[in-house]
Amino acid sequence: MTGLLSALFHAQLRTDYRTSLVVCASVARHSVANGPNNKTQSLRMEIMSSLQMDSDLQKKIDHEIRMRDGACKLLAACSQKDQALEAAKSLQTCSTRIMAYMSELQRMKEAQVMQKITRRSSDAGPLDDRQPCKGKVAISDLRIPLMWKDTEYFKNKGELHRCAVFCLLQLGGEIFDTDMVIVDRTLTDICFDNTIVFNEAGPGFELRVELYSCCSEDDYSAGSTPRKLASKLSSSLGRSAGKKLRAAMEPGACPISNGGASPLLLPVPSVPGPKYHLLAHTILKLSHVQDNFRTHDLTISGNEECSYWLPLYGSMCCRLAAQPHCMTKQMMSGSLKVKQLGGEPQNWTKVHAVLKGASLSCYHRLEDVEANVEPAFTIGINKETRIRAAEKDPDSKGQHICISNQYGGDEVTHTVTTDSRDETHRWMEAFWQHFYDMSQWKQCCDDLMKIELPSPRKPPLVTPKQGSLYHEMVIESSDDLSSTVSDILARRMQELELRSQLGTSPWMTLFEENIQKSAGRPRPCDSRLLGPSPCSPHRPPRSPMSPQRYPQLGLLSSEASLTSDSDSHCSTSPCSQKHAWPDSNFSLLSSSPSRLRPRTLSLDAKLSTLRGRGYGAYQCPCQTQPSSIVNPLQTPRSPQSLCSTQTTLSCSSSTSSNSSSNSEGNHSLDLTEGVPFSRPSPARRSLRNLRVRLDPRNWLQSQV
Amino acid sequence: MSSYIPGQPVTAVVQKIEIQKLRQGDRLILGFSIGGGIDQDPSQNPYSEDKSDKGIYVTRVAPGGPADVAGLRVGDKIMQVNGWDMTMIKHYHALKKLTKSNEVVVRLLVTRKSLEQVVRGAMGFHKEEH
Repeated sequence: MTGLLSALFHAQLRTDYRTSLVVCASVARHSVANGPNNKTQSLRMEIMSSLQMDSDLQKKIDHEIRMRDGACKLLAACSQKDQALEAAKSLQTCSTRIMAYMSELQRMKEAQVMQKITRRSSDAGPLDDRQPCKGKVAISDLRIPLMWKDTEYFKNKGELHRCAVFCLLQLGGEIFDTDMVIVDRTLTDICFDNTIVFNEAGPGFELRVELYSCCSEDDYSAGSTPRKLASKLSSSLGRSAGKKLRAAMEPGACPISNGGASPLLLPVPSVPGPKYHLLAHTILKLSHVQDNFRTHDLTISGNEECSYWLPLYGSMCCRLAAQPHCMTKQMMSGSLKVKQLGGEPQNWTKVHAVLKGASLSCYHRLEDVEANVEPAFTIGINKETRIRAAEKDPDSKGQHICISNQYGGDEVTHTVTTDSRDETHRWMEAFWQHFYDMSQWKQCCDDLMKIELPSPRKPPLVTPKQGSLYHEMVIESSDDLSSTVSDILARRMQELELRSQLGTSPWMTLFEENIQKSAGRPRPCDSRLLGPSPCSPHRPPRSPMSPQRYPQLGLLSSEASLTSDSDSHCSTSPCSQKHAWPDSNFSLLSSSPSRLRPRTLSLDAKLSTLRGRGYGAYQCPCQTQPSSIVNPLQTPRSPQSLCSTQTTLSCSSSTSSNSSSNSEGNHSLDLTEGVPFSRPSPARRSLRNLRVRLDPRNWLQSQV
Repeated sequence: MSSYIPGQPVTAVVQKIEIQKLRQGDRLILGFSIGGGIDQDPSQNPYSEDKSDKGIYVTRVAPGGPADVAGLRVGDKIMQVNGWDMTMIKHYHALKKLTKSNEVVVRLLVTRKSLEQVVRGAMGFHKEEH
């Protein structure tokens, strides 16, 4: 017997259908010898269905193996660091998925074997254990706080120590990964914006959250790894993967003979490149589910010596919500007859009833359900409801069901009946199942928790390290392209100059010829270029100017009002700065656009290196170039934009400064205005946001 | 605007502006925007005379709003809010002082260049008389 079962076991591992069928037949023959019965049929059906499931799993495993091979190849081939990190992340995800499927496969085998053994021995009737309904479990807004020491700031003065992190979330057989986030000591929390939804989870689910990290500043080619890091990395993924494999195979593992086609113990291929290590993990269960944010403890593996170490605070915040199917789906529906309360005993109302959530909704007609019409009345079905079947009424065909609820001090009883005994039985069964589900899902059945489906994923932001200035800009069509280009350059330089505050730069000679012509001798004039300079007599008084300047300034304010609560977020994005004060400075440059050739080679890189440098004696040319200042003032760059910005102002001025309405304001700005350089695509905008956020020097504006 | 000499008290000609907050839903709004603060980059302030002035300036006034009605103008520098100093304050704290939910009226002391000019002009005229 055992020989046969083990043969069955091994054969199923191989998914060699012919073999399995032969075994199946032999099982059938065996039981025929013992005497044919229904059990043999069901056994055979079970084997077939389990084979089907196995083949599904096997297909999934094959798919993941192919993905993993692809990721390995990509990892070997790619040269850029962020690509390598992404590829390594997919490698890790695929490996984990493969291991999960393998262990799932094995669990299923064992379950079948156990089941068969118990069935044959006990010869009991079909077990009538009730299964609770499944549900959706969603985890979102993962946030892991970090705890940097001040020594981090003082010790590591040079480059930032960066780690790439991501999370793997596993529930049942589903594994999802979050996006990868680069973490360095300027971040206080690791935030993952993804919402992950698991669709078929039982109430006893275990959601395993694992945080993987990888040091992201090393040279990954095996040859040139510095020795210190090489020793750190020598605790390679191979070893830890092996440990994980062993752990996964632990529960009830019997040694699997490797007679099958695919090797079951998959060694993770050692590919030169970034390797992710498990930094922390935690397991979330039904008791952690709440319609609110909660903090959970993390179990941290690794210590300070590891290259992938991050100082975690030790906890994780997230929102874990669950929607059991009994709350969202119709568990039972059919026609019932409800006795009117307080009416005649024989006054039955025929309704179409739907059992869903915490109530039995009764509609007059079936069509009302589809039409989303309000139900005629609703009978509450919750944990306190009591339902019992009354004795058979001689004058009706079916049994009565009494549903009692306690409303305040009163007890209200509804009596329903059906047309036949079977119907009554089915309804009772449905009610019992519903009660069982509610007892299993506990707090999830008090109220329906909202689960937002993840929005369609944005295309991944590939930030080119050495992108030229022009990759980031949207140039709207304007009359004079060369002046547009020079304006872009001018503003870019102006904004970066102001940030750096001091120092000069070699490439400024490009502009300096114009300045020299106009400035004559340098005169300290606040050495700031922006804003109304008192020494300029040509500066028109503020009030007549305001109609022109005001809308543009207002543009900045309303965009900036986004960030009244958060710090330096999108407030003075370079784009908005450009059109905010177009009248000041560098307008002289526009007068000679031909001088400026567009430079394709990393002007941006050069500009950013100037940040630390001194701000040179870039004197205020305003007093000596009156004409060029006044002209741009008077000539509106984009007349149509002024009107549009006015309207956006009026609608955004009334919004209060909380983030949701501010984001709306931002979108409306982007849609309605026609000011050049002011319509960044979402990817560029968030790129700019990131850069603005990283830059601590801003001039925030907030709405009160 | 008054010039700022480090170590010396700042003197300025100020105007009192009393703004009645407007209730909108569950918020009280004033209808203007501020910029500046000691934690901000003062060189980006378009309204300040002295580009190292880290004071709080009015960057936008909603037309017809409570601030507009009270006489606040774009470019005004806010010196005090209900007695709280605004010349040496962080941006966030300035915001908080303006948006206290239990205060319906804010009394600002603001200064602007035109005020000083007017006063200077008046004084000069006065002098001329003599």
